[in-house]
Amino acid sequence: MVIKMNFEYSEKDENFRKEVKDWLNETLPKSLSEKVKKYQRLTKEDYEIFMNNLTAKGWLAWHWPKEYGGTGWNAIEKHIFEEEIIKASAPRIVPFGVNMLGPVLIEFGTEEQKNYYLPRILSNEDWWAQGYSEPGAGSDLASLKTTAFDKGDHYLVNGQKTWTTLGHHADKIFCLVKTDLNAKPQLGISFLLIDMDTPGVEVKPIITLDGEHEVNEVWFTNVKVPKKNIVGKENEGWTYAKYLLTFERTGIAGVPYSKSALNHLKMISKRSLKNGKPLIEDPIFSSEIAELEIDLLAMEIFNLRTVSAAAEGKAPGMESSLLKIKGTLVRQKTTELLRKALGPQALPYLPEQFDEGWNEMPVGPDYAGPIAKQYFNMRKISIYGGSNEIQKNIVAKASFGL
Amino acid sequence: MDFTLSEERKMLQETVGKFFNSNYKNINKRSENVNLPEGYSKEFWKESSDLGVISALVSPKFGGLGGSGEDISIIFELVGKSLCVEPFLSSAVLSSTVLSSISNPRNDLITDIIEGNLLISFAHCEMNNRYEDHYIETNAYLKNDEWNINGTKSFVMNGDDASKIIVSARINGDVNDRDGIGLFLVNNDQTFKRPYNTIDGYRSTELTFENLKGELLAKDENALKCIIKANSAGALALSAEALGIMQICFDLTLDYLKTRKQFGKSIGAFQSIQHRMVDMMLEIEQVKSAVMLASSTFETDDLTRDKNISAAKNLVGRVGKLIAEETIQLHGGIAMTWEYSAAHYAKRLIMIDHLMGDSDYHRDRFKFLSGF
Repeated sequence: MVIKMNFEYSEKDENFRKEVKDWLNETLPKSLSEKVKKYQRLTKEDYEIFMNNLTAKGWLAWHWPKEYGGTGWNAIEKHIFEEEIIKASAPRIVPFGVNMLGPVLIEFGTEEQKNYYLPRILSNEDWWAQGYSEPGAGSDLASLKTTAFDKGDHYLVNGQKTWTTLGHHADKIFCLVKTDLNAKPQLGISFLLIDMDTPGVEVKPIITLDGEHEVNEVWFTNVKVPKKNIVGKENEGWTYAKYLLTFERTGIAGVPYSKSALNHLKMISKRSLKNGKPLIEDPIFSSEIAELEIDLLAMEIFNLRTVSAAAEGKAPGMESSLLKIKGTLVRQKTTELLRKALGPQALPYLPEQFDEGWNEMPVGPDYAGPIAKQYFNMRKISIYGGSNEIQKNIVAKASFGL
Repeated sequence: MDFTLSEERKMLQETVGKFFNSNYKNINKRSENVNLPEGYSKEFWKESSDLGVISALVSPKFGGLGGSGEDISIIFELVGKSLCVEPFLSSAVLSSTVLSSISNPRNDLITDIIEGNLLISFAHCEMNNRYEDHYIETNAYLKNDEWNINGTKSFVMNGDDASKIIVSARINGDVNDRDGIGLFLVNNDQTFKRPYNTIDGYRSTELTFENLKGELLAKDENALKCIIKANSAGALALSAEALGIMQICFDLTLDYLKTRKQFGKSIGAFQSIQHRMVDMMLEIEQVKSAVMLASSTFETDDLTRDKNISAAKNLVGRVGKLIAEETIQLHGGIAMTWEYSAAHYAKRLIMIDHLMGDSDYHRDRFKFLSGF
């Protein structure tokens, strides 16, 4: 059998890409993309500007089926869309409501829940947070300890969630809670929707190693949650949680992020001097860049193979885990080479540089400021979303029959 | 052969270690020092001097009580373990090395440094000279018997608080020439300063000079020799500091692997994790060995000294990356937080590779000095 492979996007795909590009060009405020490019701190409003634009265009729920207000795009179109919004330096789409909870509600929610929550997600009225990890339940998520006891018309929730990204902006949080303490770990878990302004909910900031506030602890002390806020059946939350975690994520490899970082690296290596000559002329350093580019080239095709299979209806299995591992390593390598390319210029750190409107002279070239900070920040990507170690366990368990 | 420390050095290690520990009790105490106006604790600096820590970094020939490669390594391993932000490197190692290596050594100034009364910073780095010892744009010219210095020096450690600065400047020739370099002593009250903290919490400064009057300390061959020796001494000190940090990173990680439980057992019980700890342990032993070798040949001929220091600093750069990244990864999210000390150790370990030559620079220098 002869298989004719085709690595090109179809004309229809290219037209779609142009449509996305043109729309971004027209609607994304320059001031906002500049902020993203400079790694400046984004406000709640910054995220909302972009997401409201997407809502107006009907593109916010890009993963949802059409009948619920989604785009109905296939995997290739989703991939193109994601690539273009990253290339345009748009703020990221806050995923907790639209990309995580939405699909779960569509699959497992009651009609009442769908009718109430989905439109509010689509209009950005609700900002959702994710309540999964706990101090004692990270890689071993099923060992979570937050409890929800049945008190007739409500659940009484007690416990603590952690690493809650942008939880300080959130109106609502979806949580995994323990409803049956006697069941085996994965069997006594339920999926609960909680209003952040319910008495007893408290958000405390976690400052990360780069001095920034992005993640939080969320504490629950005798929080009363109406019974109707449970998604699906009691004690079956683990199924929904897994559905959410394995939900088709075309962007898991972060290819467009690495591509733009690679271009940045080449630009900086041309401008950085080593012994008076551009660093890119150093044969060893340029070889390191070349090998990174080769890794990325291969990974892009690996990613497209997975995307293309998904477009034909094949659910990605271990490919998601493999892409997550390689994707994070490649992305971390770009931040490492960027840092190395700067030499001593990576040292100065001016926290005020990341405030909106900062327009003083930087120390050194204007591109230097965020590089070391970004290197340290990006250590998180091989830890969150199921650490790379956990991904390896998943692949080994699922594929080797050992 | 004997790889053990002498009784005197063991005592030095113990005394200084206790003193550092009692002052740098935890990461919050360090943050307090970082946030002081000078970016370090003047009180702690004065106490260090009283205890003889600065003196231990200077040879008896110039009024100190130490100054050997082993002395520098012992002190800086402890500086690393406590993440001290005081000017041990800038004033006590770099500047005192220059002042003792010039044709007419300046014992008067060295004594003031040892006694904690005078802070002198060494301003050699520039925005575009990366890690080179001779690539210098700042220039100096003679007019009416006075030296005038013009230019900007970058990444000058403690360059804001120092009252005097040693400046490398070009007297003649091209920016990349090995000849025509001068070393000058200037007062820091007439310089333009832009101080800032580095990402790992150390005070650095951009210093600009406009027709600043300076006293010539050395020129041509002697000046370059002094710069190379100062940079080598600095690279040795940083290598030992990195070794101290690596040991703390290893201990913190091992401790966490024992206490953190997931899937019903300590995460250290997983064989794949144990193997990674063995890799770390092995590489730290390699670094320790390279630092010992570099320390022991610090007072020999320049070639042997620089070759072994480059070997150590190259290894420190490579292993430092491994240890910093594995420390964070094996901990997980907790090591991404400001509150936990491991994050600060990891940051310093990585940024040490951006000072006094990174792993690439020292690999190239090792190749050159070995006659590749």
